Amino acid sequence: MEQLETVDRIMQPRPSSIVAALYTLRDLDTDVAILHGPPGCCFKHSRLLEEDGMHVVTTAMCDSDYVFGGHDLLVGVLKKAVDRFHPKTVGIVGTCASMIIGENFHRAVEEADVGVPVIEVEIHAGYNDNTHGAIVTLEAARAAGLLGEAELERQKRMLLLATDIEKKFGAASRDYIEPSRGDLKYRAAERLLELMRGGKKGLSVLNAKKETAYMFADVNLAVSQAAKVVGAPAPVTIANLDPDIGLPRIRRYATTITSQMAEAGVAVDHVTGGLDEYPVSGETAARVITEKYSNYDYVVLSGVPHAVPFEAVRGMEIFSITNGPRQVEPLKTAGHRHVMVEVDLHPKTLGVHGMVESEFGETLRSMI
Amino acid sequence: MKKHLAIYGKGGIGKSSTASNVAAAMGEKGVRAMLIGCDPKSDSSITLLGGKRIPTIMDTVRKKGSIKEEDVVFEGFNGVKCAEVGGPEPGVGCAGRGIIVAVQALQKTSSAMKDSDVIIYDVPGDIVCGGFAVPITKGMVREAYIITSGEYMPLYAANNICRGLRTLHTPLSGIICNEREAEHEREIVEKFAAALGVPMLAYIPRHKIVQNCERAGKSVIEGEPESAMADVYRSLAGRILTEKNKKVPDSLEDEDLRKLTR
Repeated sequence: MEQLETVDRIMQPRPSSIVAALYTLRDLDTDVAILHGPPGCCFKHSRLLEEDGMHVVTTAMCDSDYVFGGHDLLVGVLKKAVDRFHPKTVGIVGTCASMIIGENFHRAVEEADVGVPVIEVEIHAGYNDNTHGAIVTLEAARAAGLLGEAELERQKRMLLLATDIEKKFGAASRDYIEPSRGDLKYRAAERLLELMRGGKKGLSVLNAKKETAYMFADVNLAVSQAAKVVGAPAPVTIANLDPDIGLPRIRRYATTITSQMAEAGVAVDHVTGGLDEYPVSGETAARVITEKYSNYDYVVLSGVPHAVPFEAVRGMEIFSITNGPRQVEPLKTAGHRHVMVEVDLHPKTLGVHGMVESEFGETLRSMI
Repeated sequence: MKKHLAIYGKGGIGKSSTASNVAAAMGEKGVRAMLIGCDPKSDSSITLLGGKRIPTIMDTVRKKGSIKEEDVVFEGFNGVKCAEVGGPEPGVGCAGRGIIVAVQALQKTSSAMKDSDVIIYDVPGDIVCGGFAVPITKGMVREAYIITSGEYMPLYAANNICRGLRTLHTPLSGIICNEREAEHEREIVEKFAAALGVPMLAYIPRHKIVQNCERAGKSVIEGEPESAMADVYRSLAGRILTEKNKKVPDSLEDEDLRKLTR
């Protein structure tokens, strides 16, 4: 349990550990996720994940189940879900309601005896760090024999580092951050083109998390395309698109994006890591920049810009593209000149199988 | 062989005094015993610790965010390791959730739990909600003991607990009778145990020694080691250590229970 009696708690709405658990089940290519809890819990994300190909169902606990327990409900839904969807793997995800009353997933799994592996994720939303939900899910997958020890440890390390970065530089860095839509995209695009036309040398860095790269990579693509059209020096593209790191699903994202960029005539000059490694791939990008490109004039950072250590890009004109309205203020404070928000990026990158257009990319293309 | 057991029974029936005396008697024999009090009142182990209260797991988690074993596990009389779950003041929060959180936190950090030969969970009241069942549902408890007197209400509660044990597929190892001077008390409780198919392991007479020792912050084993009462607890401890005759109980129908107490 977490207790933060002596710490100022963050006041703004935060990502949920239950949702993190659901996304992690999706990453594991789980076929069905059963939320053991009230019908509306995590509705919006459940819908999005259905678009991404995972069935999400709920035991729809109500007041009387809080009082009498929801064991039979869970057994029933588990059986029904297996009959209906014929999954290879199933996940059960806890909610505040079922966890507070002490529901016992394992007993339900034993009783339902559905004959496929069931990942039992005992999680609720009462954690300061939503990554806890992902870690608990990975551990449960390990316990169900669906994940290797080394991969579990690697992912846990990434999640803890990601949490650390959010606390130091991101949306968890203060007890309240005003959400912002960032700078006007056409103004920033105008300035970027001005630099390009002036023959300035630029870097184009993708440091994105998982499926969000489907849209963030479009920014880097557009930057290269714009430079080509205006006759500017080709920007150096640095990206965390290693196709050999992470779960099969995450590798698929990297492979697809790399080949789509190649088809569009843009090669990745430096690969900094996998798409689930943004906390360390940001540092790798910084190392590459410091070693080879420290005298460059501008840098475009798309994805998780605050995971690229600022020292490496100090002195360059920075164009950062994020999808977090609460990342704007910390980035501005850190010294990023232009900060743009791709509003609703995440929903647009679910249920797709390739790159999607970004607003900033499209704005840039419309101006050349 | 390790024994992990829970003691259940109606509130006020003598669970804590029996649990602490049994633990002290086990310690006397050189058995490594641990007592985990699950009552928010946190008074299970008080007579093993000279009447002192120890910091509870929940209070510590609340203040520090996590626990270390040395913050919450204390050695009491005869080497018995003591921990108290603690929990909210009456009327606020959720004591059941407290047990879930505390027991899991303890399991993660405690080497005493791994090293003990016997772990006794002193669980308040009936199995009133999922939280109170957590020592069982998380596989920490392998058998239960129920304390009752020959009065109707404690027997009713005991029978109700049997319903819970059946739901949770947890075996009952025996019934302990704590005398309340009901008529035909021994006979009634023996019949109740027989109807459940388990032995009555002890008949603990009502004696002021128990009260006096509690007032002095001591177990009977410590305060009156030569007394006949101390021997009653010693023999109960012996039975618990050797008892193998356990079964998942079938609770009685209300009417049968009434007949039994007439």
